[in-house]
Amino acid sequence: MTSDSSLPAAIPSIVQPAPEVSPVPQVRFKGESGRLLLLLPSETEVVSSAATWTDIWQQLKQRLNAGERFWQPNTPVHLIARDRLLDGRQLQSIADALTEAQLQLKRVYTSRRQTAVAAATTGLSVEQQSPVAHLNQPEESGQALAEPLYIQTTVRSGMEVRHPGTVIILGDVNPGSTIIADGDVLVWGMLRGVVQAGAAGNTRCVIMALRMEPTQLRIADFVARAPEAPPNLYQPEVAYVISDSIRIIRAADFSKERLLPPVSSDIEAEE
Amino acid sequence: MSRILVVTSGKGGVGKTTTTANLGMALAQRGHKVAVVDADFGLRNLDLLLGLENRIVYTAVEVLAGECRLDQALVRDKRQPNLALLPAAQNRTKDAVTPEQMKKLVGALTKAFHYILIDCPAGIEMGFQNAISPAREAIIVTTPEVAAVRDADRVVGLLEANDVKRMYLVINRLKPAMVEQDMMMSVKDVQEILAIPLLGVVPDDERVIVSTNRGEPLVLSENPSLAAVAFSNIVRRLEGEKVPFLDLTAPQDDLFSRLRRLFRGRSKP
Ligand SMILES: Nc1ncnc2c1ncn2[C@@H]1O[C@H](COP(=O)(O)OP(=O)(O)OP(=O)(O)O)[C@@H](O)[C@H]1O
Ligand SMILES: [Mg+2]
Repeated sequence: MTSDSSLPAAIPSIVQPAPEVSPVPQVRFKGESGRLLLLLPSETEVVSSAATWTDIWQQLKQRLNAGERFWQPNTPVHLIARDRLLDGRQLQSIADALTEAQLQLKRVYTSRRQTAVAAATTGLSVEQQSPVAHLNQPEESGQALAEPLYIQTTVRSGMEVRHPGTVIILGDVNPGSTIIADGDVLVWGMLRGVVQAGAAGNTRCVIMALRMEPTQLRIADFVARAPEAPPNLYQPEVAYVISDSIRIIRAADFSKERLLPPVSSDIEAEE
Repeated sequence: MSRILVVTSGKGGVGKTTTTANLGMALAQRGHKVAVVDADFGLRNLDLLLGLENRIVYTAVEVLAGECRLDQALVRDKRQPNLALLPAAQNRTKDAVTPEQMKKLVGALTKAFHYILIDCPAGIEMGFQNAISPAREAIIVTTPEVAAVRDADRVVGLLEANDVKRMYLVINRLKPAMVEQDMMMSVKDVQEILAIPLLGVVPDDERVIVSTNRGEPLVLSENPSLAAVAFSNIVRRLEGEKVPFLDLTAPQDDLFSRLRRLFRGRSKP
C-alpha cells in the first residue's frame, strides 16, 4: 500500500482464528448446462447464523442487481430450496424478482412437504426430494473451484460475498463489507473492506485492487492491515503471500516479480 | 404523480427529523401540497419540530384501526396551510404497524398531496422496513463522521435491495473549519464512499437547535441562516433546479454579504 513497492507492506504473519466460525449463509447462483440453479442456504446448515427470509431476500435482490453475467435473457431457473420453508407469497416474490431480471423460474426442488405444496399452489412445478439427496449439493471439500463470480456493484457496508471460487468485483468494496473467496479476489475499484482470498487454505491466491485501502486483507491463514499513514499516491496493487507474510506490490511490478525464481521455493511447492 | 420520499440514515440523531421538517416546510412554501409522515412510532418528534404537538388528536394507528378517518388524523399547519402532518402514535412500538399498512396509508395520501415525506426511525429493523416500504425515492442524511457514513452506506445497500433506487445525499452538521484542519471527513470523502447524487450540505449551526426547541423550522425565519439557505437549496435541487453549492468555507463575517448576493440573484425573474 505504500508507493514504495520495495518495502513489503505487511505485518508479521498471524495464524488467525478460522473465519469459518459462523459464516452468513449465502444465496448463490450457479450455471449448469444451459440453466441456472438458484441455491438457497439450508435452514439447518449453520444453526448459529441461520439466514432469515429477509436476509435471503436481500441477498437475492443484491445478486440480481449486481448483474451477474452468467445468463442470457429468459434462462430457465431451478430453485434449489433444500430444507427451507417457503410460503406461497415468498415463492411468488422470488418468481417475480427473477422475471424482473428476465429470468424464468421453472421448477422448485425442496425436501419440505409444505414448501412443495405452496409451490404447487403457486402454479410452479415442484420436485420433492429426500432431505439428504440434494441436487447439486454445493461446497463439498476437495472439489475444483466454482466458476468465477463476476459482479458489477458497489459492495456496501454490511454486505458479505462468499464464493467457493474467484470473485471479480466491478465496483468499490466499501468499509464494513466482506469478501471471502476460495480463489483470488479482483477488485476493479477501491478496496476498503475486509477481503480474504484462498479462504480454503490456498496461499497462492492473490488479491488485486485498483486502489488498496483495506480494513484487512487475508490470504489463507495470513492477515495484513493497511499501514496507519495512507500513501499520497494510490495505484493498482497486488497482495500475495511470500515468506510467511502478505506483501503488497505495485501491479506493474507483480508480473515481473512472479516470473523471477521464487526466493523460497517451499511456498510454490506447497499443496 | 406524487413523489414519495423517505428520509433515512441508519444512525440515530444525525438530523432526519430536522431535515424532514425543513424540507416539508420549504416545499410547502413553494406551493406544493405536502404531507409529512412520522414513521418513528414510539419515539415521535416530528410534531415537536413543527410545533404541532398540541394539535394532535388522532394518529396513524387510529386511522389503521378504523377509529377515525385519515383527514381527521392529519394536522394542518396554521402558518403554512399547504403542509400537513400525519402523526405517529407515541404509546405504541414499531411493531404496531406493518409495511403493508404503511403502503396503504401513504397510498391514500397521494390522492391529496404532491409530496409525501416519511421521517424514518434510526436503525434497520422493523420501523425502518415500515418507513421505506411505501417510498419511491430516498433522502439519505448523514453527518461527516465515519460511523454515520458506514451506517448510511448500509442503508443505501438495503434500499437498493428493496427497489428504492433513486437516492439523494444530504450531509448535515458539516464544520468547515474542522474539515480544513483535516479533523473531519470532507464532502468529497463522504461522496467517495456513498456514491449517490449530492442534494446539499447543511452546516452545523446553533440556530438549528434553537429552531428545534421552538418548533419553528428554520426556513420560516425572516432573515435566514446559512443552514436555512442550505435547506431551501436542497428543495430546489430536489425539484431539478441547478443551484450552485454554498461556499461554507468562507469566513463567517462574510456571511451576510454572501446571503444578500444570493437573494439578489434569486429575486431576478
Ligand atoms: N445542522 C445542524 N446543526 C446543529 N444541530 C443540528 C443540526 N441538525 C440537527 N441538529 C440537532 O441534532 C439533534 C438531532 O436531530 P434530529 O432529531 O433531526 O435527528 P434524527 O436523525 O431525527 O434523530 P433520531 O434518529 O433520534 O430520530 C437535534 O437536537 C437537532 O437540533
Ligand atoms: Mg428523528
